Amino acid sequence: MMRENGTDQAQDILTLRGRLSEIAELAPWIESLALRHTIPPDVQFAIALCLEEVISNAICHGYGGEKEDRSVVVRFIAPRDQYIVFLVEDEAPPFNPLDAPELPPLNPHEEMRIGGQGLRLLRRFAGTLEYEQMPGGNRLRLGFSTAGSSETASATTDSTDHQVT
Amino acid sequence: MQSRPGDKNIAIATEELPDGITKVILDGSLGIEGAAAVDLRMNVIAGSSKAVLVDLQNVSFIGSMGLRALVAPARAIKNRGGKIVLFGPNESVEKVLKSSGIDTVIPVHHDLQTALAALQSI
Repeated sequence: MMRENGTDQAQDILTLRGRLSEIAELAPWIESLALRHTIPPDVQFAIALCLEEVISNAICHGYGGEKEDRSVVVRFIAPRDQYIVFLVEDEAPPFNPLDAPELPPLNPHEEMRIGGQGLRLLRRFAGTLEYEQMPGGNRLRLGFSTAGSSETASATTDSTDHQVT
Repeated sequence: MQSRPGDKNIAIATEELPDGITKVILDGSLGIEGAAAVDLRMNVIAGSSKAVLVDLQNVSFIGSMGLRALVAPARAIKNRGGKIVLFGPNESVEKVLKSSGIDTVIPVHHDLQTALAALQSI
């Protein structure tokens, strides 16, 4: 894990190696950002939830398991107009989570399905989501409003508006 | 114990209540590491108890792996004819439970007596 703090405070960067145990670094990093930028607890929760889902998905599925030689980079862009942004960049094959099918919620009429909730939670808890395919990887831009609930915001892809509520 | 969203620290304890009810007390974060830390114990409980109350009052965070840690034992308990209820999630944790639909298959209660009554009807 590596952390960088830009001197102009425009960005904070957390670099995680391709291991699930590295995700433990997220909580103190988010807490540190929350203290410095007065991020409300419910928004902190949403950020932690979404980043954990995106990073674990990159490691488990994008990298096909833990890969020491690959990394996931998370960039925090300082708040502007009560809006904060995280960029998650991986080195995995192209995967646009906005295009991926979402499994239905659990319901009492079917056998309880174990798993398959990550995408649903990401779409519900991120304020906005934008996907960009990068040379050799993927970039997902996650936006969160610090002014109120992020639940009703919308998300966009690089090509198509995509409502995620 | 205090915990942050996504923090790996979690504690699990059990308490045997009257009427064969097992109370499982979780305290901490049910992120990836927290879920992995309680998985085995939760499955052991699911294999030996028919009435389980999972106390979430002190769970600060839950992600998709945390949901798995609840759904897998719940399914095992239900398949053996037992019952499981969730008790006392905070607002954010409950939002995750509702977003996933888990609240439609595992009852969520905020009143302890109501939660216990739901289990006593086995």
